[in-house]
Amino acid sequence: MKNLLYKEFKLAVHPTTYIFLALCAMMLIPSYPGYAEFMYVCLSIFFVFLAGRENKDVFYTVLLPVRKRDVVKARCLMIAIIELVQIGLSVPFAILSNRISPDHGNMAGIDLNVAFFGFVFGFLSVFNIVFFPIFYRTAQKVGLALAFGGTAILLYYALVEMLVWIPSPISTFLDTNSTDMMVKHLPILLAGILIWIFTWILTYRRSATNFEKVDI
Amino acid sequence: MEILSVENLTKRYEKFTLKDVSFSLEKGYIMGFIGRNGAGKTTTLKSMMRLVHPEGGKVTVFGMDFAEHELECKQKIGFMLGGVDFYPKKKLRTIVEVTHRFYSEWDDAEYQRLMQRFELDPEKKVDELSAGMRVKFSLALALSHHAQLLILDEPTSGLDPVSRDELLLLFQDLIEDGEHSILFSTHIISDLEKCADFITYIKDGEILTRADKDSFIDSYRLVSGTTNLLKDDLKKKIIGLREHKFGFEGMIQKSDVAKATGLEIAPADLENIMIHIERE
Repeated sequence: MKNLLYKEFKLAVHPTTYIFLALCAMMLIPSYPGYAEFMYVCLSIFFVFLAGRENKDVFYTVLLPVRKRDVVKARCLMIAIIELVQIGLSVPFAILSNRISPDHGNMAGIDLNVAFFGFVFGFLSVFNIVFFPIFYRTAQKVGLALAFGGTAILLYYALVEMLVWIPSPISTFLDTNSTDMMVKHLPILLAGILIWIFTWILTYRRSATNFEKVDI
Repeated sequence: MEILSVENLTKRYEKFTLKDVSFSLEKGYIMGFIGRNGAGKTTTLKSMMRLVHPEGGKVTVFGMDFAEHELECKQKIGFMLGGVDFYPKKKLRTIVEVTHRFYSEWDDAEYQRLMQRFELDPEKKVDELSAGMRVKFSLALALSHHAQLLILDEPTSGLDPVSRDELLLLFQDLIEDGEHSILFSTHIISDLEKCADFITYIKDGEILTRADKDSFIDSYRLVSGTTNLLKDDLKKKIIGLREHKFGFEGMIQKSDVAKATGLEIAPADLENIMIHIERE
């Protein structure tokens, strides 16, 4: 697995993946949808797969003395690491953004608080569980995987933003960057992380099963 | 010693079926796998390597069932479809840096020697290599992990005659130590005449013949004659019969030569054998 992961970062990773890490600074844009940065992350995941197809990555990899399931596992691990790094880098920028304008919050959606990052984990979970298994059904149709994955995250985005926009007790505690609400925000973050881990396991299993059936 | 055995390999597609493909290859020999485009050569090789899922059949490599010992078998096999065409924008050095990690018997000294012998510059990118150099790079990768069985799909396609000849001489050099075996598919018949020891002929997904090259070639004769000599019983025996205004021409089995009295009889070569068989 170590070797496959090395191969992922040495050969398969697309330069935009690293460039898009810099988009964590988007957290500083005043009143801007926080999820936009993570849509770019999904786009960079798509680029990794698109470049992989054009570079015949699947063919190169499956001819190595490795199991097909492990090929999928290495790709899942690589993307999971990228997602974690992206979120990790975004946190200080979100804190900085809240420090710069503590009173105004985010007029274009949920404030960049702890609960937001819980929803971000959910956002990426939705993309992963839709995109990966669809791609590994053919190991070719990366556009189809993006179409479904993209639609799924837009629906998720609409849903979680509705929780903020529709006035309710939930919206009151969600749409604030006040640290007083930390008690209510932390369980959402924890739930997001748990969902992200759980869906990665499911994503890997479904994708690996699909990939094992593919004729290359 | 048998290094490769393929038994009853079957793979069904909507419009094509690979039917009970069986053949074997001994250590220290070159086998040419021939057939026209679409005959099932690549499907056979991919099914052997389990890149596609065969419905039936068994592949044994170095005495091990490939399906059960896939990883061990792959350590000893060099498989390539044409030349290296993956990661065309990466330097050879980068590809090797990654690839060598997967092989327990990777020999760096051998790799350096092969890169020098093939005049390959590790700082070059894959897409800066000519078609011949790409094939050589594939071979360098395979031989550096001491692959004893090379399975090559159309390695000479797209190469100029000089590069092809160079490559075929290299194949012959490789098997001289008696440790390596090569199975290579091609539709370029002259390649086989130069270096194959055995021929496996596939047509429409079925193996037509498995034989050593010389007896395979010797088992056919080319015949030609005027139309009045073309009797019904002879007609049935002629393979790839072509009639024209001056008479006819075709090919017969050597065992049927007695029936060809009065005809011009000439030895066949591989190219003629293939053309006549495919004309049927």
